Amino acid sequence: MARRRRFRPYFRLGLLALALLAAGYVLYLDLRVRHEFEGRRFALPARIYARPLELHVGLRVPEDDVVRELRELGYHPVARQDRSGWYVRNGAQLDIALRPFIFWDGPQPARELKVGFEAGAVVSLTDAKGADLALARLEPLVIGGIYPTNNEDRLLVRLGEVPKVLVKELIAVEDRNFYTHWGFDPRGIARALLSLPTGHVQGGSTLTQQLVKNFFLSPERTLRRKALELVMAVLLELNYSKQEILETYLNEIYLGQDRDRAIHGVGLAAQFYFDKPVQSLTTAQSALLVGLVRGPTYYDPYRHPQRALERRNLVLRETRDEGFISAAEYQAARASSLGLNPKPSTGTTPYPAFVDLVHRQLRHDYDEDDLRSEGLRIFSTLDPRVQAAAEHALSDRLAAFDRKGRFGKPGLEGAVVVADPQSGEVQALVGGRDPRYQGFNRALDAERQVGSLLKPAIYLTALQDPSRYTLATMLDDSKFVWQPRNAEPWRPENYDRQYHGQVPLYLALAHSYNVAAARLGTTLGLDSVFATARKLGIERALPPYPSTLLGAANLTPMEVAQMYQTIASGGFRSPLHAIRDVTTADGHPLKRYPLAVAQAFPPDPMYLLTAGLQDVVREGTAQSLANWLPPVLGAAGKTGTTNEQRDAWFAGFTGARVAVVWVGYDDNRPARLLGATAALPVWGEMMAALEPEPVAFPQPEDVEKATIDPQSGLLADSACPGAIELPFVKGSAPKDRAPCAGNPVMDNVKGFFQRLFGN
Amino acid sequence: MRLLLVFVALLAGCAATPPTQTPPPQEPAPVEAAPPASPGVPAPPAAPAAPAPKAAVERLMASARTDVAASRLGSAEATLERALRIAPRDPRLWQQLARIRLQQGQYRQAESLAARSNTWAGADNALRAENWSLIAQARDARGDRAGASAAQQNAERYGR
Repeated sequence: MARRRRFRPYFRLGLLALALLAAGYVLYLDLRVRHEFEGRRFALPARIYARPLELHVGLRVPEDDVVRELRELGYHPVARQDRSGWYVRNGAQLDIALRPFIFWDGPQPARELKVGFEAGAVVSLTDAKGADLALARLEPLVIGGIYPTNNEDRLLVRLGEVPKVLVKELIAVEDRNFYTHWGFDPRGIARALLSLPTGHVQGGSTLTQQLVKNFFLSPERTLRRKALELVMAVLLELNYSKQEILETYLNEIYLGQDRDRAIHGVGLAAQFYFDKPVQSLTTAQSALLVGLVRGPTYYDPYRHPQRALERRNLVLRETRDEGFISAAEYQAARASSLGLNPKPSTGTTPYPAFVDLVHRQLRHDYDEDDLRSEGLRIFSTLDPRVQAAAEHALSDRLAAFDRKGRFGKPGLEGAVVVADPQSGEVQALVGGRDPRYQGFNRALDAERQVGSLLKPAIYLTALQDPSRYTLATMLDDSKFVWQPRNAEPWRPENYDRQYHGQVPLYLALAHSYNVAAARLGTTLGLDSVFATARKLGIERALPPYPSTLLGAANLTPMEVAQMYQTIASGGFRSPLHAIRDVTTADGHPLKRYPLAVAQAFPPDPMYLLTAGLQDVVREGTAQSLANWLPPVLGAAGKTGTTNEQRDAWFAGFTGARVAVVWVGYDDNRPARLLGATAALPVWGEMMAALEPEPVAFPQPEDVEKATIDPQSGLLADSACPGAIELPFVKGSAPKDRAPCAGNPVMDNVKGFFQRLFGN
Repeated sequence: MRLLLVFVALLAGCAATPPTQTPPPQEPAPVEAAPPASPGVPAPPAAPAAPAPKAAVERLMASARTDVAASRLGSAEATLERALRIAPRDPRLWQQLARIRLQQGQYRQAESLAARSNTWAGADNALRAENWSLIAQARDARGDRAGASAAQQNAERYGR
């Protein structure tokens, strides 16, 4: 008795402690359930858009390219009554029914357009009634996202947007008592056990339990985990309504795999499998998605169409058996084909190199977690037409080299950067010969010797002082030894192992003579040349040796592109960037990346340098560019070839684009390729495909032209062979006449009489 | 467009000057160069001229002006950038953008943008005068008195 009395308080205390512990644990679970549910419910990857195609009269774009972009956007090639998202092509006339879209500067409603084309340009743009429109933007293509670590992707949908029949099908197949149970369903479990022998598989887990399993738990199947799942399911039901649970389920559920991208939720699945919004799914299409819940890989409709069809029809049958659809509806749906979207899968992005750049630039301003979960809308600068041209040109050319068969394995690699010189917007980025490969991004990360690409920094340094240097200044390309204190002497050589004596500056640049450039660079001083390089946009410290002048410095293609952007814009440096605007998921503007311009050099020396770089193309190392671009464009650029030809480069610009191409081996073995034979053809082929505009810098007021004899660098006249017209800062042109030119006094006298008496 | 025509005219002018054939090289050809365009391959033709995107640019400029009047500088800035993507050689767009940067207190940007406008200004001296005046204001605001007065002199020179 006494013992019992003594024992009872302990027993009660123990029970109480146990109950408290259990209650605490349940409270903890409750907290976790609520926390995860609220937090995870809205985890959305950042979505990255290409630039929108802006249509206006005067836009130079082939009609085919506009149609291709509309197809990529999923527009249908037939008119559809009362619907947007289609186009009709009638010869040179294109009718487009634009979908509504929320741009960074506000929403654009759905509207119909009529676009007229002629000779590769838009010549008319009107609305459906024929009234002229100044501008119309197509919605931009989605080019990728920044995903959670498991690459989950989804498009959030509201329950009200999901077709009722889809919900009915889901409930018929997965959880018939969903609206009445408390998170678990004894009847469902019993039915599952009973149905085992029939082979008619019923899961037994409620939708709530499936959601808990996906949200909180590892996939192992233990009794403890099953119990935990049950408790959490009940907690979920206590905290949230059936509607909320259902909506979350429909957004959470895993429904397929697109390479490395996991397709979650019915919103994205509708787009992925059928290329339509979830609202427009038919009974049969909804049934296919519901059928995928059990095993998106096993029932993958692309790989196992027959299996997927049977599964779909099973879903339809059970839905009919539950009385959710009529027999007629069932028959009609059953008779329809799978109707899959034939679009090839692209994984997380078809443009991994560019998306990598976007991601790196976003990291400056955003928290990594926010990027992966807040559903930010990133409006990038990618131009899909330019990107396609860059990819094709690089892979075509590298494949051609492969066919010649002397390049071994692993094969040649390459990278391309294309930007708008006026704004610094990156239009295309190719990180390797397989543009879909998500690995090493050579455009951003391959640090390679640049060879002669740095020479413009030497010549620009010189041309800033017109009292000492002009394009016609004779430079000394004879044997040169540089003897620094306490170091080995340096003896630069030309590529052809020859010396060329006295050459005018513009020809030394055009033919890329190393010795003349080295002598000029050391005369100007390494520090001055490096300062010029820095102002051109090279932020990295260059090796403090004279060999740097000839390009013994490693830079990435992106860094080279920044340098040439400054040149291509006439001295106005704009940081290369890949983002225009960022908005929240619902379109509220968050951040703009405004156009930034810094005048790094005055116009005069830039004009002279550009004329020099045009000479590189006209008569120098890049004259083979005429195979792709007409000379009238006045394209400007520079070839680069490094020691033992490990790296082949071409960097240059036309009127509206600056681009850099690098070709070489990843392991840095000699490629025996020249900038002009390996990189230049990629550049030329790409630019030729993109309606190049002429380089047309207006001549600065302080610049005048003079005709020069290239042999002497002095004033020429019609008697001088090969005379060339060059720009000079006013007053800096040579005063003396070349030996080939006639006597100026006699000419003047002749001219005087001619003026007096006429010819 | 006008610039393109000027350019073509200039080229035509070049074609009329003495023959610009290179003399026979005295030194061996540099090996960095690839062989020049083979004579059999006809050079691709120059792209045909497209009509100027006048309506689009005017519309965007008007919209930017409305935004500025309503003190929506961010919106005006976005609109002008949109116009510049269509017509990057229109000096009026660069100038409007420079003016907005001045109002936003971004003086270095304002100065560079006005200088950018000047490079495309051609013979439009009134526009140049306005650009120099913008540059003078930007420099003054930054405390560069000497630079401001030099710019002001330029403004007056072009304004005459």
